[in-house]
Amino acid sequence: MGEIKDFNCTYDNSAGINGEVTAKLNLTFPDAYLHHETMAELSKALKEHDGAAFCELPFCHTVEAEAMGGLVNYGNDKTGPRAKEYICTKPEELLELPAIDFTTGRIHEVLLACKELRKQGQHVVLQVSGPFTILNVLIDARYVFKGMRKQPEVMKKVFWKLGDEILRFMEEAKKYDVDLISYADSSGGVNILGPKMAEQVVEDFTFEFLKKAEALADDKTMILLCPKTSFALLGTGHAKFKDYLIDSGTHYGEACIQMVGKAKFAGQMCIKNVGYQLESGIFKELQLI
Amino acid sequence: MSSKEELLKRLSDGVLEMEEDDVAEAAQEYLEAGYPAFDGIMEGLVDGMNRASELYEQEEYFVTDVLLCSDAMYIGLDILRPYLPDNSGEEKVKAVIGVVEGDTHDIGKNLVKIMMETAGFEMIDLGRDVELQKFVDTAKEEHASLVCLSTLMTTTMGGMETVIHLLEEAGIRNQVKVMIGGGPISQKYADKIGADGYSQNAVEAVKLAKRLLNIA
Repeated sequence: MGEIKDFNCTYDNSAGINGEVTAKLNLTFPDAYLHHETMAELSKALKEHDGAAFCELPFCHTVEAEAMGGLVNYGNDKTGPRAKEYICTKPEELLELPAIDFTTGRIHEVLLACKELRKQGQHVVLQVSGPFTILNVLIDARYVFKGMRKQPEVMKKVFWKLGDEILRFMEEAKKYDVDLISYADSSGGVNILGPKMAEQVVEDFTFEFLKKAEALADDKTMILLCPKTSFALLGTGHAKFKDYLIDSGTHYGEACIQMVGKAKFAGQMCIKNVGYQLESGIFKELQLI
Repeated sequence: MSSKEELLKRLSDGVLEMEEDDVAEAAQEYLEAGYPAFDGIMEGLVDGMNRASELYEQEEYFVTDVLLCSDAMYIGLDILRPYLPDNSGEEKVKAVIGVVEGDTHDIGKNLVKIMMETAGFEMIDLGRDVELQKFVDTAKEEHASLVCLSTLMTTTMGGMETVIHLLEEAGIRNQVKVMIGGGPISQKYADKIGADGYSQNAVEAVKLAKRLLNIA
């Protein structure tokens, strides 16, 4: 078995909500973050500002947690929604949280916005968060880390409870015509967890979870993995890259769009790095093994 | 009965090994044996935390380990602190710390807080997603010597510069040193916004704070 390498987030990328974009729109904040019509408009404006090949939704990493009872500060025109106070202090409490209802609330609006953008001919990246990112809204990270050391079985159940909700979210996304589903959990990167705990997470959760997610990739949908997740799978011997030749210099986002239906997982670069070009002309599909 | 040295070692090892129950037990025994709380804190708990930060620096320990070590340390502190004599030390240097408005990522900030507390600073933790004016108001009220600002997001970095301007407006910029850190932050950015210093990690933050305040 190899070593899990870290992928450093570069920040030379789409920074999401910013005043420069929102000032040009006739929208009211934070109200614009709550309704599918305005979400779609804002997403398109951000796409144009970034020069990206796709629209991204949502604008934060709080929708899943909010749909499970988490408290969210919706922000303003400069900063998007983010977590408020935690609602849990024990891992066991997380197991009692309700399942997500995709027919109501902000998560439903996000799905409707995806559908609207697809109807307008846009490619849509739905950003789905992994368990650590969702937990960041629900419980202080120190209880998560402590739980992983002292109550690994309970935490495994927590990961799978969230994992099942994430899979359901991905299934729903397909019903709303999303063509690119991105999965990221940077809060659970090897830089934070350390190599031993990062490996434990892959073995207890990520690998099996992605095997289930793989079944959702088809001729119309591809799953984009954060490189931190790709490296965790490669480093633990659970994945390999398969190369495909495409035109050299193609932007990564364009390449992902071209590969929908041909590859199940992309994962060689961060999808937010919108300026990144595949100079070598090699698109790497991540294959689980 | 265990000797003082044995109990101090248990306190230190318990912190290093993240064993809260062992630390609590050793702290109780230590008090019952009549040994001074101050030594228990400094030569036991803080010693364990210092060993943990050395391992962190050597990349033997990671963020999660240090957080759990600190949990064990705080359990011991809760037991020993009430038995400190009133005059058990000089006044600590005060520092205000928090994650700037718009950002909720607080792991890095928590690490810096722990390392600085271990090094003897009194940390006033404002938490995460902190309204910018609050840094200034708190620094003023508490007569703090340091303001430590953290963020992981590019979109909220600008808040750090705003805090510096607000400190100027409040007329206390020359009374505090401003330290910044977090994922997208660099020395270059610190220079650009007029912060007094930048540190890449929690261990470096302690060294920086001491350097800025001329503390040995």
